[in-house]
Amino acid sequence: MPIVTFTADDGTDREVDVPDGDSLMETAVRQGVPGIVGECGGALACATCHVFVVDADPADLPAMDEMEDEMLWGTAVDRRDESRLSCQLRPRRPMHVRTPETQQ
Amino acid sequence: MTTTGCPVAHGDHQGYEPFAQHDPFPAYARLRENEPVFHDERTGYWVVSRYDDVRAVFGDWETFSSENAQRPVTPRTAAAQQVLDDGGFTAYSGMSARQPPVHTRIRRSASAAFTPRRFKALEPQVEAHVRDLLEQVHRAGGPVDLVPTFTNQLPVMTILSLLGVDVDHSVESFKRWSDSRSAMTWGHLSDEEQLPHAEALVQYWQACLDLVAAAHRDRPDSLVGDLVRAQTENPEGALDDHEIASVCYSLLFAGHETTTTLLGNAVRLLLTHRDQWERLVADPSLAPGAIEEALRFSPSIVAWRRLARKDGEVAGVRIPEGSEVLLLMGAANRDPSRFEDPEVFDIGRANAREHLAFGYGIHFCLGNKLAKMQSAIALRELAASTPDLRLAVDPDTIEFPDSLSMRAPVAVPVTW
Repeated sequence: MPIVTFTADDGTDREVDVPDGDSLMETAVRQGVPGIVGECGGALACATCHVFVVDADPADLPAMDEMEDEMLWGTAVDRRDESRLSCQLRPRRPMHVRTPETQQ
Repeated sequence: MTTTGCPVAHGDHQGYEPFAQHDPFPAYARLRENEPVFHDERTGYWVVSRYDDVRAVFGDWETFSSENAQRPVTPRTAAAQQVLDDGGFTAYSGMSARQPPVHTRIRRSASAAFTPRRFKALEPQVEAHVRDLLEQVHRAGGPVDLVPTFTNQLPVMTILSLLGVDVDHSVESFKRWSDSRSAMTWGHLSDEEQLPHAEALVQYWQACLDLVAAAHRDRPDSLVGDLVRAQTENPEGALDDHEIASVCYSLLFAGHETTTTLLGNAVRLLLTHRDQWERLVADPSLAPGAIEEALRFSPSIVAWRRLARKDGEVAGVRIPEGSEVLLLMGAANRDPSRFEDPEVFDIGRANAREHLAFGYGIHFCLGNKLAKMQSAIALRELAASTPDLRLAVDPDTIEFPDSLSMRAPVAVPVTW
């Protein structure tokens, strides 16, 4: 299981094991990682699992589909080049992401 | 429609009455505590009331399918069915009761209209609609019922603006058809009561078919126009005409019905918790939080169905394949394991948005952000323009028609 590091806006790190095939959002919600809400449960309907990717294997960053791209225009903290919705990421190797100051 | 009084006998499934909506919350609390998963022999449903369980069932669409979500609770009479058949009524569900991969394909197409950028562009129109409507309310003077004058109007105007539909039908037609759809699907109707509703459903479905036909003819710059164009320009995954009409059937109901209820409930709750109304008046930036709390405390849809496609389990209780499950979001939203002091209405509640009013998972309400956006604007403007607003009736006299799922106030009379 790859280890994913979530760095909160205040700089606190939290490491979690992401089971194969599970999304970053699912895992974060299950483990209670602060900074990820995921209120829709992965339907690309809420944009509350926004992360900034700090470091990742390119193979773990699938091309963004149109709906993810559209939803990223509705995040609480403005999107940046490295923005993703973590419900769309299913990492197989270690990854490091930063969570925004707020998701609402 | 009739309304059922507040249940008093607690021996029968904790006083839970499947169709009574006046005040289901005391029974919900007892269910969560004493019978969190039980088989209700009156309806045939397995009833689930705790937060974690409700969310888990929503999340497991492979075991718990939504295919029964739009099935009429009260079987249609032969006479009503005849009216529907004669009228060419073939609609069932746009999205909510469809399954992957068809659901995925249709939802993807419909999602094109429900993007944050479109909502942003729509905001000034919503603000203008709110101001116009409130001006009319003020001109009429109190006491006035906010349902026909405000909460019925705004969401229909919003969804029509979003869809770019310039229709001849009035807000009243849409509301009449939606009331009929709601009553025919989740209501507790007598045989005679079904007939006029069946006639309304025929008209409603015909209006959806007409929208598709008109889009073929006029090629409008609208969601329906886009979906029709995709049939030739991007045929892979494109929706056929019946599917496009079904999307209209879905959005022209779900796109306003539950928002009308939300607005009515939000105003009703704020005015019966005066300190919370005063907070909002003093700080209009609390409007989005007030909407989340209204959704938690009094969701427009208090219960929703699923069907076990295989043997499942909820909180250790075996749910056999073929069973129908009723998820009580109204109960889950007041689960003390999730929400501190859950019976307190607090517009500043930090985790209010964890409510399950919009469901969870692949069928999560497509319009959730639209509903929140327009409702927050409505509350903000209402508080700013009418700080002295108060209910014109005893809140306990406000009626909620019998329904398995919908908990909608029939009137919200106010004065100032």
